[in-house]
Amino acid sequence: MTEISRRVTLAWIAAVSTGGFAAGSSKAAESGSPASWSNAALPPVTGPGYGHDPDLKAAAVPWPLTLNPHQRAILRLAADLMLPADARSPSGGTLPLDAFLDEWISAPYPLQQQDRALIMPGLAWLDAETGRRSGQDFVSASDAQRRAVFDAIAFRDRIAPGYEQAAQFFARLRALMLAGYYSLPQGMADIGYLGNKPLADDYPGPTPEAMAHLNASLIKLGLKPFNPG
Amino acid sequence: MVTGLGLSGMPQHRPSPRFEPDVVIVGSGAAGGMAAYALTRAGIKTLVLEAGRDYDPVSESAMLKWNHEAPLRAIPTPDKSFGYYDATVGGGWEVPGEPYTSAPGTTFRWWRSRMLGGRTNHWGRHVPRFGPYDFKGKSRDGLGADWPITYEDIAPYYDRTEKLIGVSGANSGLENHPDSSPGVLQPPSKPRVPELMIQAAAAGLGIPCVPSRYAILTQPIDDAHAPRQACFYATPCGRGCSIGAAFQTTTSLLPMAMGTGKLRIVTNAMVSRVLTDARGRAKGVEYFDRTNGSTHFVAARVVVLAASACESAKILFNSHTAQSPQGLANSSGQIGRSLMDSTGTDITGHIPALEGRPRYNEDGKDNAHLYIPFWLYKEQAAGRLDFPRAYHYEIGGRFEMPGARFGLAGAEDGYGLSLKEDARRYYGAQVSFSVRGEMVPNADSYCELDPDTKDKYGLPVLRFHWKWSDHETRQIAHGVKTAKEIIARMGGRVLTPEMPPEQAIQAGGEIIHEVGTTRMGMSATDSVTDGFGRTWDIDNLVIADGGVFPSNAHKNPTLTIMALSWRSMDHLTMRMRKGDI
Repeated sequence: MTEISRRVTLAWIAAVSTGGFAAGSSKAAESGSPASWSNAALPPVTGPGYGHDPDLKAAAVPWPLTLNPHQRAILRLAADLMLPADARSPSGGTLPLDAFLDEWISAPYPLQQQDRALIMPGLAWLDAETGRRSGQDFVSASDAQRRAVFDAIAFRDRIAPGYEQAAQFFARLRALMLAGYYSLPQGMADIGYLGNKPLADDYPGPTPEAMAHLNASLIKLGLKPFNPG
Repeated sequence: MVTGLGLSGMPQHRPSPRFEPDVVIVGSGAAGGMAAYALTRAGIKTLVLEAGRDYDPVSESAMLKWNHEAPLRAIPTPDKSFGYYDATVGGGWEVPGEPYTSAPGTTFRWWRSRMLGGRTNHWGRHVPRFGPYDFKGKSRDGLGADWPITYEDIAPYYDRTEKLIGVSGANSGLENHPDSSPGVLQPPSKPRVPELMIQAAAAGLGIPCVPSRYAILTQPIDDAHAPRQACFYATPCGRGCSIGAAFQTTTSLLPMAMGTGKLRIVTNAMVSRVLTDARGRAKGVEYFDRTNGSTHFVAARVVVLAASACESAKILFNSHTAQSPQGLANSSGQIGRSLMDSTGTDITGHIPALEGRPRYNEDGKDNAHLYIPFWLYKEQAAGRLDFPRAYHYEIGGRFEMPGARFGLAGAEDGYGLSLKEDARRYYGAQVSFSVRGEMVPNADSYCELDPDTKDKYGLPVLRFHWKWSDHETRQIAHGVKTAKEIIARMGGRVLTPEMPPEQAIQAGGEIIHEVGTTRMGMSATDSVTDGFGRTWDIDNLVIADGGVFPSNAHKNPTLTIMALSWRSMDHLTMRMRKGDI
């Protein structure tokens, strides 16, 4: 990242963060109007793409990353809430989802730049909204305070008026985190992806358990089951 | 400059004073690779000029790499239109420095690569045969143009091509879906659960769903110069296949041709023009060295264009002379006309009955092991359909390697442990139907030279004109409606938004089955070549690529391009031996 773009970015972050955390009473905050969404123009990403003929066996990300440590910390905490640990897989915040998001929104391609225009103000909004409610930014707030903000924007049928844009940000963040998480080895193990293994013999097809499940489904649908052999 | 060819360590040769080719072939993809194979087998000294760089799938393809190892989880970007790991080099929808344009108000997209082996390095490998009806469409319904050849003319070459390239699949015995001769096909692969469910639901609606034919080996093929292994059922074929199981000319036809000692290949050779002598006969071609822009000339007794339908048309346009101001071999005015693609649209559905199903490895071959061939010929003949010509479905649905597009079929909601449970439940529970249909050629779909735009070599580029007619949009409407019926029969929910067929149909060129721009025919007045790809105007100029198709059956064109190229080269060989050239 060049010094100029770093300066521009820092100035932008300062601009969208103002007025956020000097929140008054937290009681009023719960019911008050949501933090405002910044429409400040984003500094453009100018890094290089990987070109039309990259080395496919030595993949590398040529563009500089653009998120600061605080933004990465927000993403790790958000990933912990989004995809918490359970018996089958670790929490999102312990996997490099923050790095994936940084790589994504820093990429010099149209789709990623469109996402950048949503994710960057979205991260600032999380700070502002948490601050409005609790007087602390998203990272410093308690788990319960962060959840309260998520609850306002995460459920499609329960988006409170004024939270529409933040909900749109959340939906996109969730989509990117799902893709980022389940394409990592821990996510693939959780979801049960068993391929990408060269087989020495013919493709064996479905297991007996998979065929039994299929046939039970077909019978329920009034369709003809297959010979399980 | 001599560069390494990379094909099994064989050296690459620039044309030297000691190598004077009898035939120069422009292009090293499906058509050019097959032409080189057939001609060198016949002992003819052959030079292949390839516009792209040298490419070696053995050392370069990203087999078994995980999506998380690539930038952006390998998602398509403007730099790599089919994703980071796709084999395509130097291009995709846009090739830097080599633009094309679309006439105002129209859209055509042109997929190109700049690599040895061309688009065979990443294609879908789905290889249905054209049937008897497909060569005589005009005789059957009055639309478009008949081929000057019949199915019987090409059938032996289908058998030979399938055997040579290696095709796994099964004969269906269905109307206008010809069987291969005994012993030609390799065994098909066992279907996956979602494919079996589609097959069961389709059967309930009277629709066939049968083993697909793929140029993917299920048994090894031994060869001294190009040994190929059976598929190991992992890694998308579009990345290129280092073991030679998925057909591409760089692991098969080109090294086999090289093994005869009769072939030379020059890469980075961008052919600009076919040059003619005082008698108007082809005397060779001119090309730019893409590495330094220098111009070269290669003389040959015969020129074979196999650069792809539109690229070959462009070369002929740019080869205009005082005698042929509208382009070489264009006395019929048909070059660039009759541009066709396949129709296409996708319908996806979520199937609750597939939720949470038992896991197993569903990689298999790259694409579905079953497909739905056209099944309504009798209804169409009886006038019960409101569109001409046929379509098929390429189906999908499996436990796919998760990547940047991993999602929950639009059901994403909330966060936390419930989100993880939803991800487990929805994984592998979606199916897809890709319609691929035949387009009738029309007067509004063609290419020509752009009067203003030039490429980095200073040559005029192609300008495309495109229009779908009611024939195609009605066909798409039928395909969408029927796919939804199959999804409904599985108890599923359609995920594809409702839209009119004019909107659902993909843009011209997007299916990458573009053909027709130098069509063959019965007469010099309305076609560019005869039934052997020989141009009517210049008998030592032969066109071997998909440009010669007078019609474009819904069946993916590459197998037919190769079979035709082989047939045309056998005819050329015979003429050269008789001294006709």
